[in-house]
Amino acid sequence: MPPFEFLASPLLGYLANGLVYSSIIVLGGIGLSLVYSIGGFANFAHGDTMTVGAYAAFVTYGVVGAISGGVLGLPVGFFVALLAGIAVAVVVAVLTELVIYKPIDLDSIGLLITSIGVAFVYRAIIRMGFGADFRQYDIPTLRPIEWLIPYGVRITRHDVVIVLSALLLVGGLHVLLQYTDFGRKMRAMADNPDLARVSGIRTGRVKLWTWVIGAGLAGAGGVFLGLYNQLTPRMGFSLLLVVFAAVILGGIGSVYGAMLGGIVIGMVNQFMPALPQLGRLFPIIPRECDLPLVTSQCGIPIGIEYANAVAFLIMVAVLIIRPNGIMGEEN
Amino acid sequence: MEVPKRFQAGWEGMSQVERSVAATLLGLVFVLFLAVIGGVLTPAYFVFLLGLGGMYALLSLGLNAQWGFTGLINFSVAAFFGIGAYGTALMTADNSPIAGGFSPITGLIVALIVTAVIAVLIGIPTLSLRDDYLAIATLGLAEVVRLIALNQDSWTNGSAGVRGIPPFFDGWPILDGLPRALPGFRIELVPGSPLFLETPFYTAMLNLLIVGTFIGITYFALRRAHRAPWGRLLRTIRADEDLAKALGKNTYWYKMQAFVLGCLVMALAGVFYAHLNRYVAPGTLDPITTFYVWVAVMLGGSGSNRGALLGGFVIVAIREGTRAIDFGALPLEAAPLRLLVIGLLIILVMRFRPQGILPPQRELIWPGVVDDAPSQPDKAVRDTRGANNE
Repeated sequence: MPPFEFLASPLLGYLANGLVYSSIIVLGGIGLSLVYSIGGFANFAHGDTMTVGAYAAFVTYGVVGAISGGVLGLPVGFFVALLAGIAVAVVVAVLTELVIYKPIDLDSIGLLITSIGVAFVYRAIIRMGFGADFRQYDIPTLRPIEWLIPYGVRITRHDVVIVLSALLLVGGLHVLLQYTDFGRKMRAMADNPDLARVSGIRTGRVKLWTWVIGAGLAGAGGVFLGLYNQLTPRMGFSLLLVVFAAVILGGIGSVYGAMLGGIVIGMVNQFMPALPQLGRLFPIIPRECDLPLVTSQCGIPIGIEYANAVAFLIMVAVLIIRPNGIMGEEN
Repeated sequence: MEVPKRFQAGWEGMSQVERSVAATLLGLVFVLFLAVIGGVLTPAYFVFLLGLGGMYALLSLGLNAQWGFTGLINFSVAAFFGIGAYGTALMTADNSPIAGGFSPITGLIVALIVTAVIAVLIGIPTLSLRDDYLAIATLGLAEVVRLIALNQDSWTNGSAGVRGIPPFFDGWPILDGLPRALPGFRIELVPGSPLFLETPFYTAMLNLLIVGTFIGITYFALRRAHRAPWGRLLRTIRADEDLAKALGKNTYWYKMQAFVLGCLVMALAGVFYAHLNRYVAPGTLDPITTFYVWVAVMLGGSGSNRGALLGGFVIVAIREGTRAIDFGALPLEAAPLRLLVIGLLIILVMRFRPQGILPPQRELIWPGVVDDAPSQPDKAVRDTRGANNE
């Protein structure tokens, strides 16, 4: 008998899964939000930057995978591959900024449309190199952690690595933004680029570092997405709209909003199986219902295949009620 | 008073770019014609390609009414194309899970009504949003439509798709049996590669006739609408929405009209596609179609209907050109190459010619209105006036 058995519930399991999925969305969302507030446009190539990171890690792991030793079921080689994924994503994003976005003299809509072209080029090149098939890191899949199963939680040690790494990266970003000189410059620039410039901040340099941070986090998110699911050339683009939903929910341009929105959207995504059986899961709701438009267990009759659709509808609803998002500034 | 040069018809009235575009197009048609004569391309397939180009041109005209004239960033082109296709398919097809068996004209009308309703439903929450939010929201809602088409098996047959869609002229008095009734010809212009003008060719010609009619009606209706005060107001909204509001106009309402109008044109293309392909699957709603059409509109020139027509045919050239690679010797797949070409085209157009190949001239939209106004005028007002009255 496990201790605290009264806690056991499918809800706990959904919560744990939600935490893992949220971590990936938060990592993607922060970069999207940063580039929006400082780069000044909605970057549709951000999802594919995640794909670039994932495939760079895939290649690196194929080379260094033999390094022995490891933490939490992951060989050291994986962490080398993670760093490589981050590095390649950063290099690709910075080069794109310098070669493509910077010379283009257009408004934010022009850049938005350009970034779609960039996204297609990334994806096309990856598909040419690796084909359209599913790929996996050559790491054995783990069984769920034994002592958590009685509580209804089925997560592997890999999932724990994803959550811990995301916490580490997000915590690092928080320290950087709040307690360093560079963070203050970034926040100043996000607030008012012209004012930041006349105050003597080298805005060009700050902008470039924004790309570095945003793409680095996206690269890490992509590597983890590959570990969590599989790798396909479409993985990033498919996730992009969900990440957008998270970022808009939190208030586009706000880093902390992106974190909050990422958690909400990630949780909604993983709590989808709970919706048709609300009556069984929550004691407050009657166990059985006989009403139109409601399942026999007093739930909302919607399948998990609509998880993304629900995320988009939440996004649109937020845009109508609070156009600047939960944490967005009123202006 | 002498008519300004750029309003004259014919070769004389064309700008330098227009002349080179016209010359290139004529050259291309000539090359394709040679390919047909030489037996590389069957006449039926050649006409089919023209019809497909017409379909993209129609989609581009629809997007142009939204983005080019009113400045609405609609990223749900594929969704409305799909709604049009599914609308008519579900009404007419043999294995339709809903209705089935109705005439294609009923299908067309139902598809347009359903499109209008969904366009209004999508427009209500999104059209008051800022530009970039509108882009993201429409893309998200298009994905919702795609997920419904994919997963609601009881409405749409899910991933199996809808089969057995009749041709558009099914049940019409003369046109129905025409392709089979006409005599087949076998012409041998080049010895050894005969051309067959038989049923498939006549079917393709009929399809070309349909899309040609759709385009003709749309093109002239749009041209008429945009020269009317209504169109002038839309252009004002695109150039400066606050200005239009300050003039006491309900810009939300006008944006809704333009949005629904554009979506109807896209659905028309979908209806044509359903009766051309005779099979509709959720892949029809893939977002890539949206971006094909965006490339067509931007390449042609935002706000320019002639540009939209040109862009539609360029897209078919890209699609078919990359398909040819599959048969060629290069170790490349067509799909990623197509993606690469589309991506590079978007980047290059935005970088070097954001106004497109055929920017608006006769549509009474001047580049200064179409593009965002520069932060400082590059010419004195008098110079600009002089240039316009030239």
